[in-house]
Amino acid sequence: MLLNRSFRYWSLLPALLLFAALTLYPLLNLVRMSVSTVAFANGAETWTFTPLRNFAALLEDDVVRPAVVNTLVFVGVSVAIEMFLGTALAIAVAGLSRAKRLVRTVAILPILVPPVAIGSMWKLMYNYDFGIFNQAFVALGAMPVNWLGSTSVALWSVIAVDVWHWVPFVFLILFAAVEGISPDLFEAAHVDGATRRQTLRFVVLPLLRPAIVVAFLFRAILAFKVFDEVFLLTAGGPGTSTELVNLHLYKVFFEQNRLGYGAVLSLAVIAAIVAFLLVSRRVALAVASQK
Amino acid sequence: MTTDARGTAALRAGIPGRLYVALALFAIVGPFLWILTASFKHPIAIYAGQFPFTPTLDNYADVLFGRRSDFAGNIANSLIVAASSTALVLVVGALAAYSLHRFRWPVWVSAGFLGWTLVFHMVPVLTLLGPWYVAFRELDLYDTRAALVVTHVTINLPMTVWLLRAFFREIPPEILEAAHVDGCGPFDAFRRIALPLALPGLIAAGILAFVFSWNEFPIALTLTSRVTATVPVAIARFAQQYEIQHAQMAAASVISTIPAVILMFLGQRFIVSGLTLGAVK
Amino acid sequence: MTANLWHVRILLAAIAFVATAPALAQQKAFADVGKQPDITVLIGSTPWYPAFEKVVGLYEQQTGNHVKLDVTPFGNILEKARNAVRTGQSPYDLMTLDTQWTIEFYEGGFVSPLADVDPAFAMPKEVFHYGDSGYWNAQKRWRTADGGKLMAYTVLGNVQLLYYRDDVLKQAGLAVPKTWSDVLASCTKLAKPPSSYGFVARGEKGNGIRYDWQSVMLAEGVQVVKDPEAGDFTVTINSPQAKKALDLYVDLLKRCGPPNYGSLGQGDVIQLLATGKAALGDVVTAAFASFEDPNKSAVVGKLQTAPLPAGAGGAHGAVIGNWNAVIPKNASDAQKKAALAFSRWFLTFGAQRAFAEAGGIPNRSDVYTSDLAKNPKYRWMPAYLETQKFARQELGYAEGAQVEQILGLRLNQALIGEMSSGKALNTAGQEIEALFKKNGRRTGVLPPLPE
Repeated sequence: MLLNRSFRYWSLLPALLLFAALTLYPLLNLVRMSVSTVAFANGAETWTFTPLRNFAALLEDDVVRPAVVNTLVFVGVSVAIEMFLGTALAIAVAGLSRAKRLVRTVAILPILVPPVAIGSMWKLMYNYDFGIFNQAFVALGAMPVNWLGSTSVALWSVIAVDVWHWVPFVFLILFAAVEGISPDLFEAAHVDGATRRQTLRFVVLPLLRPAIVVAFLFRAILAFKVFDEVFLLTAGGPGTSTELVNLHLYKVFFEQNRLGYGAVLSLAVIAAIVAFLLVSRRVALAVASQK
Repeated sequence: MTTDARGTAALRAGIPGRLYVALALFAIVGPFLWILTASFKHPIAIYAGQFPFTPTLDNYADVLFGRRSDFAGNIANSLIVAASSTALVLVVGALAAYSLHRFRWPVWVSAGFLGWTLVFHMVPVLTLLGPWYVAFRELDLYDTRAALVVTHVTINLPMTVWLLRAFFREIPPEILEAAHVDGCGPFDAFRRIALPLALPGLIAAGILAFVFSWNEFPIALTLTSRVTATVPVAIARFAQQYEIQHAQMAAASVISTIPAVILMFLGQRFIVSGLTLGAVK
Repeated sequence: MTANLWHVRILLAAIAFVATAPALAQQKAFADVGKQPDITVLIGSTPWYPAFEKVVGLYEQQTGNHVKLDVTPFGNILEKARNAVRTGQSPYDLMTLDTQWTIEFYEGGFVSPLADVDPAFAMPKEVFHYGDSGYWNAQKRWRTADGGKLMAYTVLGNVQLLYYRDDVLKQAGLAVPKTWSDVLASCTKLAKPPSSYGFVARGEKGNGIRYDWQSVMLAEGVQVVKDPEAGDFTVTINSPQAKKALDLYVDLLKRCGPPNYGSLGQGDVIQLLATGKAALGDVVTAAFASFEDPNKSAVVGKLQTAPLPAGAGGAHGAVIGNWNAVIPKNASDAQKKAALAFSRWFLTFGAQRAFAEAGGIPNRSDVYTSDLAKNPKYRWMPAYLETQKFARQELGYAEGAQVEQILGLRLNQALIGEMSSGKALNTAGQEIEALFKKNGRRTGVLPPLPE
C-alpha cells in the first residue's frame, strides 16, 4: 500500500508542518523584539535596533534577583514533592484490587479546575479571618496562621497550592507507566522469590524511569511558567517573597508595555530553564551511578 | 496492557499503601468539596466562612441563566475545542512520536525536532499572543474555534510527542521486527501493534491534552470574543476589578468539571475500543 | 361672569401645562440620536457593569439601536484594547479604559479625538472633569483641557470614600473622623482583635497600597513629582512630609487592622467591612451597592460614607480612578459616529439618572443635586460630590506603570517592616529618578531622608 511505503515520511510531516507554520513566526518575533525597542506613535509601531539597552535593563532590574531565587526555590521544592507524592500514589493505586478507574478519575480532579478558580478558592481558604484552615486551627485551640501575609510563610502557601494542583499530573503519567509494565516481568520476579520491596526497587522503578523523566521535564517547565495561582493569591507580595519570574514578566510585558525588555526576560527565562534541566540531569546521573 | 492480577498482586498495597491512597484522596478531594459547598452559599456566607449555612441555587441560576451569561454556549465551545484539539494532537503526536522512535532519522532531524518542541514549550505563552493575534486576524480566523483548535494542538504537541515517545520506546523491538518479517507494512505495524501496546500512554496523553485545552486561558482570551469564548474566559469574568465573585465562580467551576469528567470517561472507552477494533491478530 | 370663566380657563391651561411639563422635561433629559448602526463596546467585568448594562438596555429600547457589550475579565481589558487598535479594523467601536492606560493610547495616536468624529460634539458642562483625564495636550504630553483635545469621557468615575459604622461610632461615643489623626485616635479605641478591627485599607503590594496611601500622601501636601505638566519631573517623594504620611499609614494599618495587613487587597477590605468586622474603612464608591445587598453583606443600612479625612494642614486628598470611553482610530467612520451618538445619549441627565438608579455612579453634577441625593439608598452621593472638589489624577505620565511598580513595592516593604519608611522613600525616590533620567526627562531628587 502506498500508505505503508511512504509512512516514514508522512508520519512526521503533519507535526513538522504544523509546528513550522505556528511557531516560527512567534519565535523569530521574540528574538527580534529582544534586540529592539518597540515604540508607538501615530497609531503605528516603530522598531529600533537597540540590543544593549534591553540587556542593560535586565541587569539593572532590582526585582529580577529575588524573582529568580524565589522561582528556583519554588520549582525545586514543588517539583520534588510532586514527583515523590505522584509516583508513590501511582504505585499505591496500581496495587489496589478494585476501584482503580474510579480512583484515577477522582485523583485528577484538581487539574480539571481552571487555574483562575484554583487561585481564588485557595485564597479564600487561606483567608486569615474566615478561611477554613484558620477556622479549623482556632477550633482546635491553635493560633491562626498568616498564610498569605507573612513573608516567611507566603511562598510555602503558594507551593502547597501548586502541589495540590499538580500531583495528579505526575500521578496520571506514572500510573499509565506502571499499568504498562508487562505482567510477565512480575511473574518472573515472583518466581525468583523477590519480595514486594525488591520488586519495586529492581523491577518497577527502573522501568518507570522514562516516564519519570518525561513527567519531571514537563512539570519543571510548567512550574517555571506558573502565573494564575500566584497572581491571585499574593500578587507577588508581601514584599518580594512570592515574586516569581513569570509574574514579573507579565508586569513588564503587559502592564508596563516594555516589549523589548520583556522579550529579553523571556529569553532569560528559557535559558534559566535549560540550565535547571541540565543541572538536574547531572544530579540524576550522579545519583544513579552511585547505585 | 493493564496490569492484570499478577501485577496487582505483586504490587499489592499494604496498610501503609492504602492509608496513603486514602489520605491523598482526602487531600485532593477536600478543597474540591469546599468549592462545591461554596457554590451553594450566598456571598456573605462565603465571606464569613459560615457553616452550617442556608443553601441557595442563586449562583447556579446566575451562571446559567443570568442576563450576561452564555455559559451553555461557553461549555459547548470548550467541548468542541477540547475534543477536537485532543483528537488531532493524539493523531499528529502519535504519528510523530512513533516515526521518531522507529525510523532511523538523522540526528539533526530527531534531536532538532524534539529540542525545538521542548524549547517552544519553555517560551512564556504571553509572548506568543501578539504574533498569533496578528496572524489570525490577517487570515480572517479571529474569533473562530478553528484558530483555538490549531493553537491548542501546537501548545500540547510537545508533551504529547515526548510522552508517547517514552511509551513507544518501551515496546520490545522484537515484536515490531517479527511483524515486519511477517509482511506487515510499517503503517499497519503502527496501527495494529504499537498503538494498542502504548494504550496507557495514549490515555494519559489524551487526558492531559484534553485537560490543558479545556483550561487554557490566555490564548482563548486573545483569540475569541463573546461568541466563541470558552469556559475559562467565562470564569475569569468573575474575577472583577475590586473583588472576586467567589460564589458564582465556584458554581461555574463545578458546572465546568461535569462535562469534562463525562467526556474523559467516554473518551477513555472510545480510545480503548477504537484500538481493540484494529488490533485483532 | 365671563371674565372669571376666562381666568379659570387660563388656570386650567396652566395646570395642564405644568402637569405635562415633567414629561416634556423627561424627553429633553435624554437625546434623540436617530437610527445608528450596531456598535460593539469593550467593557470590563466590574461591580458596576450590571448598571451599565441596564442603561444600555434603556438606550436600545428608546432608540431601537443595538449595542453589543464584550464583557472582558478586568485583568485582560488592556490587552484586548491594545490588540484591537494595532491591526486592521478595530472590532470595537468604543472602548472603556482605566485611567492609567489612557496615556499610552493618547500618545500612541490610537484614539480619535471626539471633535474629529463630530465637530459639533460638546461635553455637557454638568459632567465632572475628573482631573481632565479625557483631554490630551500633545505638546506638553499631559492630560489637560488647557490646549488639549477631547479624546474621551468618563463612563464611571470612582473615588474612595471613608466608610464608617454609624452605630459602632455612636456606641463608643466617637465622632466621625475629620482628619487622619482622628482616624488613628478613633480606630485604636475601636480595635478589639480578633473580633473587630478599627480601620482597614489596602496594604497589598503594588496598585493596592499605592492607591490607598496616596490619599494620605495628598492630604499631607506631598507630590510624587514636582510639576510634570510644566515638564519638571523632579522627584519629591522622599520629603519629611511624605515620611510622616507613610508612618501614619503604617501605624493605622498595624495598630487597627488585621494581622495580615501587608496583603490586604480591595476584596479583603470589602469583606472585612461587609462581615461587620471592621468599623472604619477606605473603600471605592463603587462598592457601596454590594454593602446594601443582603446576600453580600451583614451590615445592610449600617454603613455611612464621608469624604476621606484631611491631613494636618486641613487639606483632603483622594485619587481618581475613572473609566474613560475612547473611540479607536481604526474603527470605521460610520461606526465611530454611531459610538459617539451613543455617548451623547449616555451623557444626558436622563441616562445618568437611570445609571444611578441601576446602581452606577453618575458623572453629572445635576444628578447629585436632584431628588435622588435625598434617598437613603444613595446616601453616598453627598460625600462623593464633596470629594470631587479635591480629588486628583495621579501618575498621569507615560512612566506611570513603572512608577507604580516601584512605589507599590517600596511602600509595601515599609509596611511589613522590611525597611524603614525613610529608606523605602529614599529608595523609591532614587529609582524613580533613574527611570525619568533614562527617558530623557528633566529630573532630580530630594536629598535623602534619615534612615
